[in-house]
Amino acid sequence: MSLIEIKDLKVHYPIRTGFWNRITDSVRAVDGITFNIEAGETYGLVGESGSGKSTTGKSVVGLEKVTSGSILYKGQDITKADNRRKLDYNRDVQMIFQDSLSSLNPRKRIEDIIAEPLRNFEHLSKDDEKLRVLQLLDIVGLDADALYKYPHQFSGGQRQRIGVARAVATNPKLIIADEPVSALDLSVQAQVLNFMKKIQREFGISYLFISHDLGVVRHMCNNIAIMNRGRLVEIGTRDDIYNHPLHIYTKRLLAAIPETNVNQREAHRASRLAVEKVYQEQQSK
Amino acid sequence: MAENFEQHSDISAADLARLSQEAQAEATPSTAKIIWSEFKADRPAMAALFIIVGFIVFVMVGALFIDTPKMMETNIMAYFNQPFTPEFWLGADSGGRSVAKQLIVGSRNSIGIAIGLTIISSTFGICWGLISGYFNGYIDWGMQRVYDFMMMLPMTMMIIVLVTIIPHYNSVTLTFIFSIFYWEGTSRLIRSRTLAESEKDYVAASRTSGTSHWKIIFREIMPNISSLIIVDCTLSFAENIGVETGLSYLGFGLPSQTPSLGTMISNANDPNNITQYWWTWLPAALEIIILCLAISYVGQVLRRAADASQRQGAAD
Ligand SMILES: Nc1ncnc2c1ncn2[C@@H]1O[C@H](COP(=O)(O)OP(=O)(O)OP(=O)(O)O)[C@@H](O)[C@H]1O
Ligand SMILES: [Mg+2]
Repeated sequence: MSLIEIKDLKVHYPIRTGFWNRITDSVRAVDGITFNIEAGETYGLVGESGSGKSTTGKSVVGLEKVTSGSILYKGQDITKADNRRKLDYNRDVQMIFQDSLSSLNPRKRIEDIIAEPLRNFEHLSKDDEKLRVLQLLDIVGLDADALYKYPHQFSGGQRQRIGVARAVATNPKLIIADEPVSALDLSVQAQVLNFMKKIQREFGISYLFISHDLGVVRHMCNNIAIMNRGRLVEIGTRDDIYNHPLHIYTKRLLAAIPETNVNQREAHRASRLAVEKVYQEQQSK
Repeated sequence: MAENFEQHSDISAADLARLSQEAQAEATPSTAKIIWSEFKADRPAMAALFIIVGFIVFVMVGALFIDTPKMMETNIMAYFNQPFTPEFWLGADSGGRSVAKQLIVGSRNSIGIAIGLTIISSTFGICWGLISGYFNGYIDWGMQRVYDFMMMLPMTMMIIVLVTIIPHYNSVTLTFIFSIFYWEGTSRLIRSRTLAESEKDYVAASRTSGTSHWKIIFREIMPNISSLIIVDCTLSFAENIGVETGLSYLGFGLPSQTPSLGTMISNANDPNNITQYWWTWLPAALEIIILCLAISYVGQVLRRAADASQRQGAAD
């Protein structure tokens, strides 16, 4: 059985207009997607901006009200708040946010930030809790003197690692990582990704790894789903997606990965333009 | 499960005391400390703070030693007694009543009402705004319609009507009557900031961390709008001194046997008093001006400190 089964998930945002504020239309942010995440794997969710990736991630972690469809965890549909509460769902499913600065409360010290899920789910003694926070900081490669500082005193990469520490605090089974490194520069990206990989090995965590960057996803994920306008256009293993893309949208995303080999730059450019042309033709139909 | 963490980190219980001590040494100062150092750096603000606190304590304690009914008895012998005499420091009014004593008791009444009004209306306004902004949707819609309705009522007229209808009222009932009409501005202000704040990811992170709505509202969001709250409270305090004063001046505040800054200033209604007997109204007017200036000055420093602690970079 899969860790989590997402079935025909739909999230529509109502558009209200007019004097009576009536619902006249809706934004189909997520429009019927189905996929499973296995225990211990990293599942990649890729798509361009506005394709509904974050909305999918937020629905899985229980932050978004789902319009229809189901998300099964331990055989229960966790789109219902009651079931989430019964299962202590967020103890097992956590999230890492894209913007590390806004995801850490600027008025709270690092100790309180990382201990927040512990206080709600584990009820440790004061000393045990502090010890756990120190261990978590150590695991993500931060010193103990971070304990009583505030988020703005850290760099973007450090802050994102604090976010990772908070997400793993309760030893969850699944972490939704919503573009965890896209706000960081390249050298720091690798560092944070390596910490995430290390933690995955040590704790056996699954990731739902959301990104718009197929280059990053290639390093992290075994299974990948390509999302476009609220739907999944292609699902496959890493090999399928990178070497035998079927859908034109996937080909286009792949063509957008910059080519580092100077000699092949012209060829790469030509193929990208060719793909773009086919894509535009299909779009206009 | 704990073993799981032991296994992957070198840190064990033995290191706890040492490490937390090290961290303590590196700790960033708390907000209270930052506010205090901000005051120490700004001498005029410090002076303003001492004036306010000293004056409030003085009138609160001083009023305890004054027998109000006796003070308010008419004493024809002292009719418009000159100021700066041993018996009447600030002279006496047309009833021969000591202006100095009236000023102390009157300030106690007026400031007491202003403090009470600020506490009640700001607390209510802050809660209303926070809840309305955080929950959004139908709750917000309903709460905003109540707000609209309250804004529609002509405030001063309603207070005057209520004061006329209610047969026996004193400072406490008056404070409550005022409070009904003075929370709206605060609530709108707080709501708009809460709406923006609720969108931020740290609120989402708290929700996935299993924190309850109420805790998120008051422990996560509220500290982040504290600078707004502080400034709003100090400004409304300064404004609220004016509320009671203004109505008493018009004759609809406290009953005339109860001295207040407003009833004293209304002495200036009489042209004779304005020119000849200036001591009957000038002290009260000066007091209000100085108090309001000092309060808004302190408010500015508090805001600076609160902003600094929001950045925290400017610590000490
Ligand atoms: N609260 C909301 N109300 C209305 N529409 C929304 C809301 N949140 C998202 N949307 C819309 O839903 C669509 C999907 O948004 P989503 O944030 O999931 O995109 P995304 O794939 O994460 O994009 P990005 O890569 O920029 O983060 C967008 O068109 C967006 O405008
Ligand atoms: Mg997104």
